[in-house]
Amino acid sequence: MENLSLIVNGEKIEAKISPETTLHTFLHDTLGLTGSKEGCGEGLCGCCTVRVDGKAVKSCIILALQVEGKSVQTIEGLADGETLDPVQEAFLDHGAFQCGYCTPGMIMASKAFLDEASKPSEKDVRHALSGNLCRCTGYHKIIKATLSVDQK
Amino acid sequence: METNNEYKYIGTSERNVNGVEKVTGAAQYCSDMELSRMLYGKVKRSPYPHARIISIDTSKAKELPGVKVVIVGDEETCPSRFGAGVADEYVLARGKALYVGDAVAAVAAETEEIAQEAVDLIEVEYEELTPVFDGDEAFSRNPPAILHEELKSYKTIRSVPPRFDENRPNVFNYFRIRRDNTEEAFKNADIVLENRFEVAMIHHVQMEPHCGIAKVDGTGRLTVWGTTSKPYGMHRDISESRGMEPSSVRVIIPTHVGGSFGGREPKAEQIASSLVLAQKGYPKRPVKMRFTREEQLTTTTTRARYIVEIKTGAKKDGTLVATKMKTILVGGAYAGTGYLTARNGSFGPAANYKTPTFSMDAYGVYTNQRMAGAFRGFGNAETLWGMESHMDMLAEELNIDPLKLRLMNCTDEGDLNAFQEKMHSVGAKECLHAAARDIEWGKKTEQKAPHLKLGKGIALGNKYSIVPTASACFVKVHPDGLVELRTSTVELGQGSNTIFSQMISEEFKVPVSKVRVLNPDTDITPFDLGTASSRSTFNMGNAIRKACADAKKQLFDLAAKELGVTEDVLETAESRVFVKGSPEKSMHVSELFIPMVIGGYTLKEGAEIIGKATYYLPGVMPDPETGASERPASFYMFVAQAAEVEVDIETGKIRVTKMVTANDCGKAINPMMVEGQQDGGVLSMGIGSALLEEVITDNGVMLNPQFADYKLPTTLDCPDCDNYKSAIIETAHREGPWGAKGVGEGTMVSSAPAIANAIYDAIGIRFHDIPITPEQVLTALKEKNQESLG
Repeated sequence: MENLSLIVNGEKIEAKISPETTLHTFLHDTLGLTGSKEGCGEGLCGCCTVRVDGKAVKSCIILALQVEGKSVQTIEGLADGETLDPVQEAFLDHGAFQCGYCTPGMIMASKAFLDEASKPSEKDVRHALSGNLCRCTGYHKIIKATLSVDQK
Repeated sequence: METNNEYKYIGTSERNVNGVEKVTGAAQYCSDMELSRMLYGKVKRSPYPHARIISIDTSKAKELPGVKVVIVGDEETCPSRFGAGVADEYVLARGKALYVGDAVAAVAAETEEIAQEAVDLIEVEYEELTPVFDGDEAFSRNPPAILHEELKSYKTIRSVPPRFDENRPNVFNYFRIRRDNTEEAFKNADIVLENRFEVAMIHHVQMEPHCGIAKVDGTGRLTVWGTTSKPYGMHRDISESRGMEPSSVRVIIPTHVGGSFGGREPKAEQIASSLVLAQKGYPKRPVKMRFTREEQLTTTTTRARYIVEIKTGAKKDGTLVATKMKTILVGGAYAGTGYLTARNGSFGPAANYKTPTFSMDAYGVYTNQRMAGAFRGFGNAETLWGMESHMDMLAEELNIDPLKLRLMNCTDEGDLNAFQEKMHSVGAKECLHAAARDIEWGKKTEQKAPHLKLGKGIALGNKYSIVPTASACFVKVHPDGLVELRTSTVELGQGSNTIFSQMISEEFKVPVSKVRVLNPDTDITPFDLGTASSRSTFNMGNAIRKACADAKKQLFDLAAKELGVTEDVLETAESRVFVKGSPEKSMHVSELFIPMVIGGYTLKEGAEIIGKATYYLPGVMPDPETGASERPASFYMFVAQAAEVEVDIETGKIRVTKMVTANDCGKAINPMMVEGQQDGGVLSMGIGSALLEEVITDNGVMLNPQFADYKLPTTLDCPDCDNYKSAIIETAHREGPWGAKGVGEGTMVSSAPAIANAIYDAIGIRFHDIPITPEQVLTALKEKNQESLG
């Protein structure tokens, strides 16, 4: 067992974990943050996307120990109390999800992208989200929702 | 986005009522559920496509620390076969393994890792048998392999019985239509055209892998949570396969299920149940069976390879005089819902055009592959792939514009279809006009470079909805005015919870926030046929309206006594009951409930205000020889789609540059959600099935069981937002709730032919199989060039 210290959704976490634990397993099973979903376990679907120091990361292909000392944000940490993030509001307004299984990862990828981009084009958004699979929506409303977010 | 509307809640794009949970990560799926002292299951699977099981040695697996249960397919664990229409499957294979991945044993252990280790320690001795994969070979009178020697002795369902073929031992269902004499009509046709088409096997790829959790209480009662779309189907499968009393099984589906698209046969749930029941004594520990992505892609149901032969006769002016078809659903080792898909894939071609003579022979055959069954469109995307490619070829032969040929032959209100049923609520023409308008039919787009060839294509389609059919529900009025719906419709992402809420809002004149929809639970929510066949809006919608009327009657009977009026003068809105025209004579719903001394509320009589209703539509079973029926389906959803493609003749790459769809849903209860169905059907599954997706196998082994190789459309494979249009056509159905029919399944039935017709327009090459890949394009272009040189 190894010591792990990191920040998850603003809270300092100390834990003892076995070294092969993935970040996804640590978040989902150990901390009970079930928002990020396992869709493939191979980093190919994006359902488990979280942010590590702001960057979108597929949590199923990174070890928890690799984020030692870093700040992790999951879908559960995106809203400010009762106030949803503008990306979450945009997804609700546009109906940019159906079954919702890819949604946490999609929103975190969208959020990470929007925080870095300035006045993105549709092409930029499509490239940024091309690693996140969705079977329900054909991405149409996801792209529209992401483009609609007013970047302050 | 809003459509013409005279209602307050119906026809509005309400936000998804489960949306906040979904965008905040609060939504819990079956795979997120944990119970105390839970065990985790893994499955031992056959490496052979067809093999006799000689022996299974589980001794090493049982000795592994942490292993609690090991089961194999035997009389004790798997006493009876089950199946949607043909009871041909055991929970774990007995006697023979029939596909690569067939479950032969299962383990439950303290962790998934231990369970997997134990599975690897199970030793199975097989005797390999000759397999059959090819549809034509499996269909033949002397197939290389017969999968179910005892087929004729299997139990079959009575309501829509399968029909076997005396001479073809792998046929698990045969359905025929004979409308008048096609052979005579062909003689009188000016042009007769014949073609054969196929589609590849594809997978639904629901984002949540299949999952089941089972537990048994101290009385032996089994409770199962799962990801299925048919709670009562799963309830039957589980009780039947074990000979349990139906009342001793409870099925619960969580509020959130990660997609279905027809592919949620409850296998994980079945195995989890077996692993719990096999534990000796009490207490038994709950078991979770969560399939990996690879297990989902290699062992759960697929859309079958489908063979479609079509022959049509037409007059010079384009009038269709005869259509003759033969289709083979190249099914898997077990019929599953494929038994019905094989039959009902004929409905689309039967209703698309007003052909005076029509003949159809539709078969489903067993092969040594995993089960093939329901997939969005239920056989009709496959049969219409053939028919709508063929129609373009006919248009070319006749030198008639493909749009015009469709407009002059498509069915319309009052026309007879091939079942000789008088069609009602037919939006075919409106859909065709809308699709033609949105793709700018007839207008050439300027080519960007000489090697980038552009073309446009159009296709018509329809999707029926099943009969016999039934939905039941309860509508309860709570003391605080909240109205609760108890329904077994599964919220799979399609938005049923939201549109049902809107329906109740409309009936009770309360905001959607004052409505709640419970998740399916066979102890609480009554029978529903299943969340399939685009049937929920129509069937459950009708049940909801009737149950609301019942609940309101109870409410008014109680309130009439309090207000000193007769119940027929009352109405309700905003949780109040009042006298029509005299709103000052009113009371809040809560005033009917008396607060009690220790707590809670009571009515003076009648226990609770609970409306209940069943919507039952038996339909008329088609005549076994002619298919004739006055009501073979509950309704038809029409769709027209058009595509513009750009084919790079240097690389063979096809890009869908523009895609439009027009869907006749009767009435859009929630236009935003209708669009959502259109978007997913066209952009993900339509484009995917036409250009990208294929389950590639070698000797029954899937070669591409990961997302790296099974190509789902990504954001980059879909046309830009401005180049995609979805039109909602509302051809009200006289029996639909507010005129509504359905939408989901009709959304991909004409995508592939529209795209292929556009490819033909671009490069003059007709493809008979999908997916159409760059390799195929390059090969075909090379052949074409050689022909023109030769």
